[in-house]
Amino acid sequence: MVTGKIKVLNETGIHLRLANEIVSAASKFEATVMLEKEGLEVNAKSMLGVAMLGAEQGAELTLNIEGSDEQDALDTLTGLFETNFGREMI
Amino acid sequence: MPQEYTVKEFFEENSEEFDLEVLTDNLGGPIPITSEDIHRPAFALTGFMENFLHKRIQIIGETELLYLESLDKGQVADAVARLFSQPLPCIIVTKGLDVPKKLLDLTVEHGVPLLRTTMQTTEFIHELTGYLELIFAPRTLIHGSLVDVYGVGLLFSGRSAIGKSEIALDLVERGHRLVADDVVETVRHGDAILGRGREHLKHYMEIRGIGIINVMDVFGIRAVRIQKRVEVVVQLEDWDPSKDWDRHGLDEHYTDILGIEVRQVVIPIFPGKNITVIAETIALNHMLKVYGIDAAKRLDQQLLDMMESDKKTRRYLLYDHE
Repeated sequence: MVTGKIKVLNETGIHLRLANEIVSAASKFEATVMLEKEGLEVNAKSMLGVAMLGAEQGAELTLNIEGSDEQDALDTLTGLFETNFGREMI
Repeated sequence: MPQEYTVKEFFEENSEEFDLEVLTDNLGGPIPITSEDIHRPAFALTGFMENFLHKRIQIIGETELLYLESLDKGQVADAVARLFSQPLPCIIVTKGLDVPKKLLDLTVEHGVPLLRTTMQTTEFIHELTGYLELIFAPRTLIHGSLVDVYGVGLLFSGRSAIGKSEIALDLVERGHRLVADDVVETVRHGDAILGRGREHLKHYMEIRGIGIINVMDVFGIRAVRIQKRVEVVVQLEDWDPSKDWDRHGLDEHYTDILGIEVRQVVIPIFPGKNITVIAETIALNHMLKVYGIDAAKRLDQQLLDMMESDKKTRRYLLYDHE
């Protein structure tokens, strides 16, 4: 089990398209990827789950990952959040 | 699209519909019908020969005949002769009007079929043009199954043996209507693509393991439909875990049929997956979109609104020093 803290940089928060990118990235790993915001934990491989977080710009999230490729998954997802999914950062 | 359409075929298929009679003996004109447009040769009769579109069906109505009546005998001969300076597919006189002898003589002489309808000129031209548009419309055969699901035309496509016929059969069993299986003849009509079965294959289906069945015999008349507009193409693909499938449906995908963009939905399939229910949902969701209700867009907007207000609260608290 690995854990990492990430911050939402995207101006409009995690909307559906962004949720899709998170789910796509998480689904490539065998590990179970959970995303947590203020005590609410959802499966990062579920579109509606990620959307349900309603993570706005500035929100702090926690990644809880467990499985054979957990470190790889954590690095990839943290990287995506840090670069704001290749989007412009405002 | 037929390259040419003979006057004989035209007459045999439409003599009742357009209330047509043949005034000449032959129906084999010098040239076949090659255009969906018609021409009224009034100007050619008067001697203005530019833009005399002789390859089209020539419609002679009251205007042309009144003009001929106003002329003396010699002038009539000259006027009518101008029409035959070029080969014509056929001449159709409207409103059941009497044909001047000179015109009849020359049509016989030049072997041009002369037909007459009892219909009014404007109405006849309107219906004839509509009919010819269909005859000359671009058409193509598509490998797939077309089913009317809740009134929405779903065209299932995908590699052979992926299960298109089985899905169609399952839908029919649930009360939907089969238009064509395996080979769908599509024709462009305005901005729409119409699909139907080939004349002799109508409502036959090949189910692996059973063989050939006739859907109308097995399920009755309400299980079939002759023609349906193709509204959504459901592309069936083998499930591939490395491929990214559409999860949100915010973006519309289209495929080209005869130059028209038709909505396309790609569905991954694997054993045990109930495609029939998914197909029904595709049809219902399509109808909702037609009515302006888009679930994905609405959810996205709700999310954006909620996050925007959370952001404002966060900012307020951040600068709230008391």
